[in-house]
Amino acid sequence: MNLFMESSPQTIPPAMLEALDRLWTKFLPEIENRMGVLESAARALESGVLSADEREAAHQAAHKLAGVLGTFGLHRGTELARQAELGFSNERPVSAGELSYWVAELRLLIDQRK
Amino acid sequence: MSRRILIIDDEDDIREVAALSLETVAGWDVIVASSGAQGLLRAAEHQPDAILLDVMMPGMDGPTTFRELRKNPATAKIPVVLLTAKVQGPDQRRFADLGVEGVLTKPFDPLTLASQMESALGWA
Repeated sequence: MNLFMESSPQTIPPAMLEALDRLWTKFLPEIENRMGVLESAARALESGVLSADEREAAHQAAHKLAGVLGTFGLHRGTELARQAELGFSNERPVSAGELSYWVAELRLLIDQRK
Repeated sequence: MSRRILIIDDEDDIREVAALSLETVAGWDVIVASSGAQGLLRAAEHQPDAILLDVMMPGMDGPTTFRELRKNPATAKIPVVLLTAKVQGPDQRRFADLGVEGVLTKPFDPLTLASQMESALGWA
């Protein structure tokens, strides 16, 4: 597995790549937790039952994912998480369908890196 | 040149990747703290050459931690670089106006974090 396959052409020292891989594995459960919050909120939004607390939790989870995914080479993941962060913050109007699409794309990206 | 850096971030993954990056790429000595309050203590105790400080933390956030660092004569002169996932212009300007030495954005590139810090701190 190469976590930096979508990353820059810079040469990453093998020892560092290995260490980053270890950290990715170590923190995957936390990333999964954040994804779970996003997926649950996206489903609630589509059903029209998203509470203010769930929206805030999803906003926080998306913010944290945006901050970390690119560090592990998942730059597209950071872009999608940023869109979800904005969507769950009400800063710009987005449809439930758009948010669900971004969250599903994010899920695909993360699953591909497992 | 060997440096001692204090990383203050509540997120374990960010803290560990940043520490790995600064230790491996730059060979710096890294100390970590998982909250603003812990960071204040570690800064006074270890007197790092610089602090990499997360903005959004529960309890004492980055800007509040920065102001507390500046209030304490023991830590007032330690240069601080903020680390934030907020990438919009107004947020960046607000953070820069605090008086920190630099503002870096998440996600950071583990290969270039040290050089970005050096540049922000005028160490380059």
